[in-house]
This record gives sequence, structure tokens and C-alpha cells, in this order.
Amino acid sequence: MMNSIGRLRFGAALLGIGAASPAWAADVIRIVSPYQTTTLDPMRSAAAGNIETYGQLYSRLLRRNAETGALEPGLAEKWDISADGLTYTFHLREAQFSDGSPITADDVVFSLERIHSDKKSAYPAPLGALDTISAADARTVVVKLKSPFAPFLGNLEIWNMGIVSKADVDKRGEDAFVKAPLTSGPYAVKEWKPNEKLVLEPNGHYWRQGYPKSDATVELMEIASPETRQAMITAGEVDVMRAVPWAQIDALKKIDTIDMRLEPSTTIYMTLLSEKREPFSNMKARQAAAYAIDNKAMTKAVTRGYATPANTTLPGSIEFHDNDYPGIPYDPAKAKELLAESGMAGKEVKILATADAAAQQMALLLQAQWQAIGFKPVIVNVDGGAWWDATGKGDYDAAANWWYNETPDPDLAVRWAVCGSCGSNSYNTFYENPKVDELVEQGTKEADPAKRAAIYKEIQKITTEEVAQIPLYYAPNAVAYSKRLQGIKLTPSLQWTLEDTTIAK
Amino acid sequence: MNLLSTVARRLLQLVGVMAGVAVVTFLLTRLAPGDPARLLAGERASAETIAAIRHQYGLDLPLWQQFFVYIENLLGGDIGRSLRFQQPVAELIVRFMWPTLFLTGYVVCLAVPPTVILAIASARRPGGLADQAIRMIGIVGLAIPVFWLGIMMSRLFGVTLGWFPVSGYGTGFADHLYHLFLPALSTAIWVVPVLTQSLRAALIDRSGADFVTAARAQGASEREIFWKTVLPNAVLPTLNLLGVMVAFLIGGAIIVETVYAVPGLGSLMIGALLGRDYYVVQGLTLVFAFATVLVTLAVDLLTALIDPRVRL
Repeated sequence: MMNSIGRLRFGAALLGIGAASPAWAADVIRIVSPYQTTTLDPMRSAAAGNIETYGQLYSRLLRRNAETGALEPGLAEKWDISADGLTYTFHLREAQFSDGSPITADDVVFSLERIHSDKKSAYPAPLGALDTISAADARTVVVKLKSPFAPFLGNLEIWNMGIVSKADVDKRGEDAFVKAPLTSGPYAVKEWKPNEKLVLEPNGHYWRQGYPKSDATVELMEIASPETRQAMITAGEVDVMRAVPWAQIDALKKIDTIDMRLEPSTTIYMTLLSEKREPFSNMKARQAAAYAIDNKAMTKAVTRGYATPANTTLPGSIEFHDNDYPGIPYDPAKAKELLAESGMAGKEVKILATADAAAQQMALLLQAQWQAIGFKPVIVNVDGGAWWDATGKGDYDAAANWWYNETPDPDLAVRWAVCGSCGSNSYNTFYENPKVDELVEQGTKEADPAKRAAIYKEIQKITTEEVAQIPLYYAPNAVAYSKRLQGIKLTPSLQWTLEDTTIAK
Repeated sequence: MNLLSTVARRLLQLVGVMAGVAVVTFLLTRLAPGDPARLLAGERASAETIAAIRHQYGLDLPLWQQFFVYIENLLGGDIGRSLRFQQPVAELIVRFMWPTLFLTGYVVCLAVPPTVILAIASARRPGGLADQAIRMIGIVGLAIPVFWLGIMMSRLFGVTLGWFPVSGYGTGFADHLYHLFLPALSTAIWVVPVLTQSLRAALIDRSGADFVTAARAQGASEREIFWKTVLPNAVLPTLNLLGVMVAFLIGGAIIVETVYAVPGLGSLMIGALLGRDYYVVQGLTLVFAFATVLVTLAVDLLTALIDPRVRL
């Protein structure tokens, strides 16, 4: 670090303004990401940016071990599950909010109840099986389910399940989350500058003794331009760069002070196909489109070989992913045959593309490959807002994008991506197969892992064959870290392990 | 007296401009596809959740009713709350305004001295070697896109040489100067040639004017003629151009602020546009319109100060 202080002095001397205070005077961990924090209320948003923030501010009943990925006690010290799998009793540990007030069963009931039934809750799906929740005493919470639900404990660990203070929210309403919210997690808000950065400081009342390991403040900075993010980490102005574009990985790998990592994720890149209109309302046309795609070559071209070609509609690293399924091979002759049978040859295909490099490349490659078999693809450039508007209405034909699953369990993934009756319209494709929907329900009621594996295998086979979406590749999280940080990573659930992070002196 | 009437006329204009801008931006933001509620709640949110959020913020009302509410609030001096952050728009704008104003002032300070020197050097012998060289360099400066120049300068002076920071605004006056040096320089490189060409043309034009011949006939020295007659007369059109540029910089520093991660109005605008944060976009355009009118007024007053004829 002497080096960067020396550089600062030199620059200051050049301008003749004396010694500027070195940026590293106090310990600060700076993380730079394109994703914005737009709300501090864990219930209000499921957008990237907020997800990362929630994990630093709010503890949940359970937590996931950052090393092993196993579920561990969080605010709940232990729990009992009734024999019929319908009643969960959670025993809370003694813990406090950031102002020192105790975290009680009432707070837990209040927090989960609002995620489950508040109209403005962004993502109630993980609590879909919940029937009632009540406080038996100040430290015991009883949850009753409508039906047995295998992934329930895992779902209580998802980013929006953070416990907030009932007293504070009752008193301040929405304002409780605008300025200095009471937090239950490893950090508290020092200062929030929306559209610029969120500054966090260690929460002195955090229940995990001795955590966060470092007393450094944390700045979550929002920088849209990848070139600027790269310049910042290369110049040593920040410690962590999230969302490194594929094209920048090699350059960052060459820098001594930077640890450029490709971390495991549950992210899948795929292209949506709108089944609301021709040509892709026709299954043979969808299959033709899928056989026309050489996704191995595409993966190599877009990600420079840093991602793995996808073989099913579900993320590659979730439980019960079918690694042996061959996927749809690249076969242009068969694609042309299928297209002729479908009667959709020569139809226009409107491909939506946002401005980022990967989206543009995917759109171009899809266009070229579909053109080759006899579609008439055109690319329509839009921004994120217009993208969601169009896909939500089914007003498009194809749109390449990514999604990720917040837990290792596949339940939420199938509900999101291929279930027509789960409220997601199969991720805006309007794909609907009653058999798949039935399997989705069975998958959560079944407790035996072997039987669940068979169910999810079946779902993957049907939806890949019927081309609910065209799977493209499984991408790791590309994150660059300054080597002065130890113990930090971005977990597959998109949570920073900041409480385990230390700074090398 | 006349000065006062200029100010009064301008203030009246201001009202008209602001009203027009308010209507146009309101319509443009609402008619563009995209839903702030969806972008706020994220992709996984259900249609019911989106509807609830739209209802909470009054986005489900008919357009004319929303407009009426907006204008009513505006007249009461309230430009609204950010849909994304639940904070007053005015508070956000004030927070993001200082880096942009500082940057604009910085650009002016960096751009004006070289402009005057280069224009005088060029105009001294039009078509001469110095004039040709300055014009060539000016064309190069104009032709380089700001975003590319910004990225290259941040790579060279920030990353490779480490002389300057590549991002941020810093704390304290000296630190601001230090952090904003590269952004200000990248902008000035594009501003200087434009101003130089304008000032050069005016200088050449004025040195052949009748009043210069008259001054010469009265026996004034060339030095005196240049400083007291030619330059003051030539400065006026360039001053107007500078005014336009300053107004443009306040509203248009988007690219340079993005490249150097300066937390200014430009980056606030980009974020608000992408997030469909209607009231922030509307508030910012109003502020930009206000700034433009104000800058032009300031230029007019300055012109009146320099050129007594304008006061007549």
C-alpha cells in the first residue's frame, strides 16, 4: 500500500496542493459493483444489488456455512420438526438488534409474516407452503405448513428472510428503512448515499461473538461502467470488483496485487422464447431454434471458455441437476427439417438485446445461427426497463438473459423457470405443461432424496426437450479481489462473506 | 432601468420554459416503456406485488390525474420523492449538484486561459504557421470522443502512471481539485478548440472594423487598439458561446461523470433514467432548464457590463 500512497503524494505534488490525505488512512473495504442498492427493506426487492446488501444487514433464522455450504443455526439456535413434517418449532438464541434491543419471537413472526402476506413483498414464493406462524413465547416460534415441504429450512435462509425490528417498523413505517434501519446482521448502516454508495460499519450487537472479524467500515459502491470499475481496482482505489466482463479477465489475472477468481454460482444463461405468438408458440419451431444453436461454440466465443455449456433448463450447480442428460445437440440439418415441418420458415424473430457486451454478442450469434436455418431474425435494442416491459407481456420472440437460484434446492428454480401455474409465467416465456406443474408440486412434498432426484430429472428432460427455454451456458461469478483481503468471497447465493474478512497489514 | 427590465423579461421567460419542460418530460417519461415498480421490486416479484406498488405511488391513476397531482405539488414547491430510494428528489439533487458545479467551474478555469492565448496567437497572423498548427491540434481535440479520451487518460495517468485518482470526488477543496483533474482536463480538451475558433474569428473580424480604423487614425498604438478596442469587442460572441457550453456541461457531464465515477448530476440522471425514477428525471430536467436560463441571464448581464450598447 505504500506504493499507492506514494503515488497519491506524487500526483498531489504535481498539482501543487500539498499532501492529500491518503485514501487508506482508516481501514475501509471498498466493493464496487454495477448493481445498485435501492432499498434497505429486505421485503421490498428481489433485484441484484439489494440482495447482496440484505445479507450484511439482517440475520435470518438459519445461515449457510460459507465454507461447506451446509445449513447452520442462525438466529434460531435449534429447531424441532414434527413427525408429519407440518410443524416447525424454532428456539431463538439470545440476540440483539443494532440498538441493543432484544430480538424476540414477535420480531420473527412479524418479519416472516410481512414477507409472506404483505402486498408489497417482492418475493413471497419461498414461504408458499406456510399456513400459520405464531410466537409460543418470547423465544419460541411455531410455524405450521399447509403440506410437507422439503426445502423449507433452506428457504428460511434466503436473502429476503432477514429479521427486522417490529417495534421500529411499527413506529417509523417505511422510513424505518430509509435512514439508519435497526439491523440484526453483522453490519449497521453508517451512511446511505443512494445512487452512489452504502457505507456500513460493524454492528456491535451482532450475535456472532467476534464477528465481523475486521473493524473496518465497508463501502458498497455502485459504478455502472465496467471500464471504470477495472481502472479503479487496477489503480488500487477499491478492493473488490463484482461482475468482471469476460473480456477483462485475462488482463486482471496478470496483475500481481489482484486475485482474479471465477467462483461457483447457480447462474444460467439462456434465451427465452415467447410462446405467446408465432413462431415459438409452435413446439417444432422452438426445437428447430434449439438444434440450430451451437452452444459449445457460443460459450467459447462469448465467455472465452470461462463458462460451461448448459445441458438442461436448470442451473448446473443446483441439487438434482442431471449432469448426464445429453442436452440438445447442434444439428443444423435436423433444425431445417423441424422448421419445415413446423411451417414457420421465413417468419420474423424479434430478438431483444440490452446494451451490455455479453447480451449484444449473444443476440448477434443467435441471429446468425437462426438466419442460417431459415428464420428472419431481427435484433431490437432496449434498456432494462423496456426489456422487462416487453418480456412481461410476451411482446418479443427471443431474449437472451441470465437468472440464478438463491438456494441449492431446485424447487424455486423450477417454479421460476418452467412452471406455468406458479405465477412466473415460466420466466415470461408463457410455457405451460400441466404435467410439469404437477411434478413441481410433487418435488416439494417428497422427502426422499432419491425420489426427488427422479422427479427433477423428469422435469429437466421434459422442459429441455419441449424447449421451454434454450439453455446456453453455466457461468461462474467473475470477481476480482485485492490480495490484501483474506476470507472474502461471493457465495453462490450472491452473499459477500464480509464478516469473515480480514485485512492483511 | 433597462437592466431591470431585462431581468424581469428573463424571469417571465423562465416561467414559460419551466412549464414547457415540465409537460414534455412528464409525457416522455410516462410514455417510454418500462415500469419503475418492476425495476424496484425485481424480476421475481409477482404481478400482484407490482400492482400494489404502482397503487402506493399513484402510478395506477389515469395520466391526466397524475399530471395534475404533479403540477399541484410543483406549484407548492415539492418536486416529489424518488420512487427508488424513498428520499426527496430535492435532497438528492442538492447532494449530487456540488460535484457537477465544481467540475463545470474547473473546466472553465482550465479552458479559458489557453483559449485566450491560443486565439490571440492564431489571430495575430491568420493563415500563418501558428494559426495552422493551432487549428490542426484543435481539430484533433474536437475529433476525439470524450468517452474514449476519458478512458485512455484514466488508463495512462491513473492506472499506469498513478499520478491521479481514476474515480470519485474526494473530500475538501484540494482533494476535489486533485480528483476532478482528469475529468476536467478531458472535457477542456474538447471545449478549448470550439472557443478558440470562435474567439479567433471574432478577433480577425473586429481588427478590420471601422472603429479600429478610427482608433488607428486617432493615433492609438497597436497595443492599445488590441487590448482596449479589438479584444473587448471580440469577447462578446465567445462569452455567449461559453455560456451555452456551461449550461450544457451542467446538464451534459454524463459521459465524463460515468467514465470517472464522479457522483454528479449526470450519474444521477443515468441511474434515474435506467430505473425509470420519474420524479428524479423530471426534477433534474427542471433544474437543467433553470440552470440554462440562469446562465444565459448571467451572460447577458456580463455582456451589458462589457458592452454599454447592450444596455441602451
